[in-house]
Amino acid sequence: MATIQIKLNGKTVECERGQTILDAAAAHGVRIPTLCYHSQISRTGACRVCAVRVNKTMYKTACTEPVAPGMDIVTVDPEILDMRRGILNFLLAEGDHNCLYCEANGACELQSLCFEHGIDVPPPSSAPRNLRVRDVSSSEGLRREENRCVLCGRCVKACEEIQLSRVWNFAGRGSHTHLTTGIRDLLGESECVQCGQCVQLCPTGALSFQTVLGRGQAWELTSRNSVCVYCGVGCQINFFTNREGQLVKAEGSIHGPNRGHLCVKGRFGFDFVQSPKRLKTPLIRKEGQLVEATWDEALDYAAGRLATIKAEHGPDAVMSFTSAKCTNEENYLLQKFMRGVIGTNNVDHCARL
Amino acid sequence: MIAKDTIRSVVEKFGSEREHLMAILRELETLSERNVLAPTVLEGVAEEMNLPPSALAGFVDFYTMFKTAPRARYVIRVCKSTPCHTSGAINVLEAIGRLLGIREKEATADGMFYLETCECLGACSVAPAMMVNYDLHGNLTEERLASILQFYRAGASGDGEGCGPETSAAATIIHDERQTARLLAHIGRVDPGEIARYREAGGYTGLRRAVGMSPADVVAVVKDSGLRGRGGAGFPAGLKWSFVVKGPMQKYVICNADEGEPGTFKDRVLMEGDPHLLLEGMAICGFATDATVGYIYVRGEYRRSIDILQRAIDQARLDGCLGEDLFGSGFSFDVFIKEGGGAYVCGEETSLMNSMEGLRGYPRFKPPFPGQAGFQGSPSTVNNVETLMSVPMILQRGAEWFKEVGTLSCPGTKLFCLSGVLNRTGLVELPMGATLREIIDVYGRGLREGSHFKFAQVGGSAGGVLCEDLMDLPLDIDTPMKHGVTLGSGVVLVCDQTTCPVDFLVQTMSFFEHESCGQCVPCRVGTAQLHHTARRLAQRTAEWADVEKMRETAALMKKTSLCALGQSPIMPLETLVKNFPAEFEAHCRADYGCAACDRSLGRYYTASSH
Repeated sequence: MATIQIKLNGKTVECERGQTILDAAAAHGVRIPTLCYHSQISRTGACRVCAVRVNKTMYKTACTEPVAPGMDIVTVDPEILDMRRGILNFLLAEGDHNCLYCEANGACELQSLCFEHGIDVPPPSSAPRNLRVRDVSSSEGLRREENRCVLCGRCVKACEEIQLSRVWNFAGRGSHTHLTTGIRDLLGESECVQCGQCVQLCPTGALSFQTVLGRGQAWELTSRNSVCVYCGVGCQINFFTNREGQLVKAEGSIHGPNRGHLCVKGRFGFDFVQSPKRLKTPLIRKEGQLVEATWDEALDYAAGRLATIKAEHGPDAVMSFTSAKCTNEENYLLQKFMRGVIGTNNVDHCARL
Repeated sequence: MIAKDTIRSVVEKFGSEREHLMAILRELETLSERNVLAPTVLEGVAEEMNLPPSALAGFVDFYTMFKTAPRARYVIRVCKSTPCHTSGAINVLEAIGRLLGIREKEATADGMFYLETCECLGACSVAPAMMVNYDLHGNLTEERLASILQFYRAGASGDGEGCGPETSAAATIIHDERQTARLLAHIGRVDPGEIARYREAGGYTGLRRAVGMSPADVVAVVKDSGLRGRGGAGFPAGLKWSFVVKGPMQKYVICNADEGEPGTFKDRVLMEGDPHLLLEGMAICGFATDATVGYIYVRGEYRRSIDILQRAIDQARLDGCLGEDLFGSGFSFDVFIKEGGGAYVCGEETSLMNSMEGLRGYPRFKPPFPGQAGFQGSPSTVNNVETLMSVPMILQRGAEWFKEVGTLSCPGTKLFCLSGVLNRTGLVELPMGATLREIIDVYGRGLREGSHFKFAQVGGSAGGVLCEDLMDLPLDIDTPMKHGVTLGSGVVLVCDQTTCPVDFLVQTMSFFEHESCGQCVPCRVGTAQLHHTARRLAQRTAEWADVEKMRETAALMKKTSLCALGQSPIMPLETLVKNFPAEFEAHCRADYGCAACDRSLGRYYTASSH
């Protein structure tokens, strides 16, 4: 990459040709606020929050504009702060943004930006507002409260570019623009597989998980990193617990092989952890009833039955079926056991489905 | 009810690629006989084209010509943009109400007529105007409306057969020897339906000459001529052509015929009156930029333009003026038509290309510019109809000839679209730099009896208003800019003492809110706020501080909007407030009486404009 010189807030600095102003500034420790921009999706340039002044008279969005030799860029001064405040005020006036009853409180990018820019007066109540869809119960996993939506389009692109599902799109036009999931426009009746990627990328509380509802606002949750127990990919997950210690939310970690993505199992399949129905001891069915047993008892019983079946019907009367929730080592051992001890090739695994 | 087989055959007819979505939906809508795209039809199309249902939902919802609820056999669209509004669009709505007993968004009980309002139809010289399905009608009075409606009742075919004669190209141009008729030279004299007539009149000699030169030389001639874009922005055409990326990849020429600026009808008249001139201009552009395919993106309302252009394309192909190896030069070029669906923003070149690809007409951020990555990601040259049609004569007669008229920085002629309270309205071609006074007095033959000049809106809704003080301002691309106004697409809408500037502003802001695409925040929210506040002003419930707030809002939009649409409302707002401060102040008083505002508010500003 060729290096070029630009002027950044009065200082001459070097940056790479082809870089956006946003990236070039970041490389020099200058943070430019953004809203529709997200590193995991293509650029949009729609929110205009990152607009900076270029060559004294032009205003360009830092997330879309490539640097050019000699470019004179000002990322912050009273005028630019006023522009940002103006745009944030537009967004506040357009939607229904009340942090008091929003799940995203504490992790909302709009909230942070407003706080950062000293916006402390709500927009006038006379501002025109078009009520949008509340689709909070049609989907088992996802909630949609579009009056909190800033129409940044991250969900549309998350679905299209990351998941290749194309469930979301914009509908309407102008001040009546809103999201849609299709002709009948109910999330629960759409082709959504509930991977939750759109929720994870949503900068506000417009999209959220059913699991969080009433169980803590974002600021009350603590996050711990873990690895998904379901399949061999080994996705890294940030699990969120509330103040009662309940697991309420899973987000894909950007650091794992999943690069922030999750499937529906990784996203929502954690309820077993704290389920009262979770098995704590082995069970043996006696006269039609499952009865708690010790490990010794259970292993002896299983070994005995397997030996009997093998003796009476031959080794091919037995097969094994293992789970992706087991480790590779455990899966290896079971097939070894089947081949070496039982003497059959009847080995199968759920990941083959 | 449209059967699955019908959907399949329509998709097969046009092709299942997404770029054909608009044409497919239009055909299915016509087949419905109720001007509707039912949800089941959309689902069928999604399945047939392998598109997600959300793509169909989002697409149909963006383009105002489509509706998913049944309308009627004939949809009446009454234009309410400024030229028609000031000429009495409300009278038309009321007369239709009396004749058919329906209000806006209602259908007659027999399922014959459905009434809606729309923005500019490009028939401003015969305002007030309306469209019945795809037929254009102007000069509407109650008697005329009655006979037009009777015509459809009697079972006439409503697809392009029944346009009012007052809307034809020949009837729309002003026949006056004093004008500099270059682009208009053929109109009304050379039959647009026969390529032979066009060739007899010297047609396709510009192209023949071009293909004998090198592409670089053709670009040089166009650069030399000083031809600048006639769509509104005034970018030098030759320079734009020279920016097109070179290389072996597919390249396109795109003609922007999405004429939607209220008050503009020049492109419609040009396309209908001299279609081959456009094809020839596009082919020359194709040769110069190494493009083999051209597209004309025509707004969906211009059905007659589309039909005439298609006939011209068919003839040109047969006659060897389009197709392979033109004039033995080895250069091949063909032209196809793409239709719009009712969205002003698609006149923005990147929105236009998204629309051509079967997407919502959202503008793209630039760079990349169309010359680098345009339609389907390929280098594309986008020019306005009037610009491309100026090219053949430059090749034919040379750059020096072209520069003989016009101003130093803006050579050539400009088409002016005259509408409003003039004795003569229509299309006139004058050298760049003509003054408003000349246009009004000579070509408009002055104001109608009883009318006194109040202001002229120049450049369309995105332009400003000019008063007496700027009557002698040379109207070229650069000079008006220095005075806070713009030439734009060449609109000259003349208003008299009966026009209230606040009412005019409400209509203009309603237009912008309606046409904003909604992608970027400042435009989406700003246009709604401007319209809302302007309406409060018309209701006399606003204060002067609200006027100041509007100016701040428009200024913020100017700085931060993604495309020109959001950057535009400031000009009409500022020029109206500057020229009529007393009337704006008066509207801030609750006891001020304004009949014009009262009338409009009672009619179509009762709710948000969608």
